[in-house]
Amino acid sequence: MKRTNAPGSEHRAESRESSAPVHARPARESDIPALVSLIVRLKRLNEEFDPMLKVRPDVDAQAEAVLRTEIKNPKSLVIAAEGTGPDQDKIIGVVRAAIRERTFYTPETEGVILDIYLLPLYRRHGDGRYLVEHTIQQLKERGAGIVTVEFPAQNEIASRFYAKCGFRPITAHHARFV
Amino acid sequence: MVLGFTMVEAARPRTRRPAPPPTPAKEETAEAEVSQTQALSERAVRLAEFYRGKIETVPKVPVRSLRDFSLWYTPGIAAVSREIEHNPARAFDLTGRWNTIAILTDGSRVLGLGNIGPQAALPVMEGKALLFKYLGGVDAVPLPVDVSTPEALIETALRIAPAFGGINLEDIASPKCFQVLEELQRRLPIPVWHDDQLGTAAATLAGLINALELTGRKLSTTRTVMLGAGAANLSTVRLLIRMGQDPHQLTVVDHHGVLHADREDLDEMQLRNRWKYRVALETNGGGRRGTLAEAMAGADVVLAASTPVPGTIRPEWVRSMAPHPIVFALANPLPEIWPADARAAGAAVVATGRSDFPNQVNNSLIFPCVFRGVLDARAQSIPDDIVIAAAQELARYASMQGLSDHHLLPTMDEREVFPHVAAAVADCTVRLGIARVRASREEFYERARRLMARPAALTEALQNSGLVDPMPDEPIPSRKHR
Repeated sequence: MKRTNAPGSEHRAESRESSAPVHARPARESDIPALVSLIVRLKRLNEEFDPMLKVRPDVDAQAEAVLRTEIKNPKSLVIAAEGTGPDQDKIIGVVRAAIRERTFYTPETEGVILDIYLLPLYRRHGDGRYLVEHTIQQLKERGAGIVTVEFPAQNEIASRFYAKCGFRPITAHHARFV
Repeated sequence: MVLGFTMVEAARPRTRRPAPPPTPAKEETAEAEVSQTQALSERAVRLAEFYRGKIETVPKVPVRSLRDFSLWYTPGIAAVSREIEHNPARAFDLTGRWNTIAILTDGSRVLGLGNIGPQAALPVMEGKALLFKYLGGVDAVPLPVDVSTPEALIETALRIAPAFGGINLEDIASPKCFQVLEELQRRLPIPVWHDDQLGTAAATLAGLINALELTGRKLSTTRTVMLGAGAANLSTVRLLIRMGQDPHQLTVVDHHGVLHADREDLDEMQLRNRWKYRVALETNGGGRRGTLAEAMAGADVVLAASTPVPGTIRPEWVRSMAPHPIVFALANPLPEIWPADARAAGAAVVATGRSDFPNQVNNSLIFPCVFRGVLDARAQSIPDDIVIAAAQELARYASMQGLSDHHLLPTMDEREVFPHVAAAVADCTVRLGIARVRASREEFYERARRLMARPAALTEALQNSGLVDPMPDEPIPSRKHR
């Protein structure tokens, strides 16, 4: 699983950052209302894939509570993506990620990308890819030796996207109503 | 695209058709409409039962005696097969493939009837085959198929293709129809067309070209509102932009309001209808939000292909448009706004889908000609430029006959227009390098004129000889007693 960085890839990531129409930074308290709406959009999208992912009626309040906690938690990562140019102060995307310890496997520290959402108008320009790489970098700096990502099994668009980013399935997460 | 073509001007003096007197407000009440439609429906059922099908296969070779069958069938025919085996392209010379298309449907969205299935779609496909033959000289085979997925429909089309020179997809639900058309256009070496998308879009564009001309507008600076995001309108959006419409001056409205990139339903749309999703991102509502009323304020053009309910577009919204606005209310059988109401509200030009009002936007002026053209040129495909060429030629022909707010498009009675549009299509395939038969535009025109005239003569001969029963008067006798 260990991937060696191609020479110059750090540099490319940096230059991408300066030219990217998206600017990623740690989320602040004041971002929360905007981030809540993005997270809720994502959860509603997940619901489209599977009735087992039906969102709770209090999803907005839940999202807000989770974001408030995670912003302060050193084991969590909440990234706000801002537009550039005329959209400079507009929040156009969000990433939620966490650091977890792996009890039985190595590398022992895992970074988990929980949610990534980018508004439709800002897709298709490589910004989603940039957000993933940026998040991986942040997780690595916090000690992650492996990064995983969670999304609905039926979401083939996500499946293809992460495959392009170098991810592959390692565990399966099955469910049944009881 | 400028079409240098002078044959018609030379052949026919530029006589301006006298504009028909403005149609008196013949906008019947809803009840009158209903009873008229009902009478027509009942007669259609009785006639269907009387004639039991609208087309049949008829030999097109002489049969002097049964001995001729040794040429038309075994043993002679084996040599013809062998020749095609060695050179598959010869199928277009040695069989009827050059002039035969399939009318392929899964019956998932038939007329306004919805998903009635392949069996119930058959009468409609038979009728379409009649139109193809009568208007375009094209042998069309009605082919409703029992499939439940787009993939199965695609698979079916791929498998039947060897028998056909082209495929006309018909009455397939949106957005499935986009996937099926795109994939078949990519994978088949013969023209594939979906009439509900392209035929309607081309007829609409033809009308719009002339409406813009009449009101002194340029497409590139026109602000256009489209009501409805179904098969026809989404295709029209793509073609409009290709013709020079500024996407930021284009606002698409569906039943949730203005289609724009921030709408809550966009993620779902990306999954379920990526064609509409793309339009939402590309046009982005022109920065507009809200309802149809808000979108129409200040607009130059409204193109509606939505709900057949007069009042869907309100006169006060027409009044809020730019001066001399263009209103296309194309829902069938009832337009989104009655033409008289639109005119009273200031519309300079009004078009509908109906033949009893001026300016009918009618795909029957397009599909017979497009297929005549691509079949005659043996084209490999029908790219968007062909659709645009057909629209432009239709518009040019109408404008040559004299444009007015009552004569935006040729009517079905102006039969001379058909071979002109066919020749424009064939000529365009040559210029695009997708024609497998090369000829001049004049040659294509002559060929189309000949092939398009034959079916009417044939039908007349069959009627005159009594081989086709004359149209019965009411009450229509039942088959048993004949």
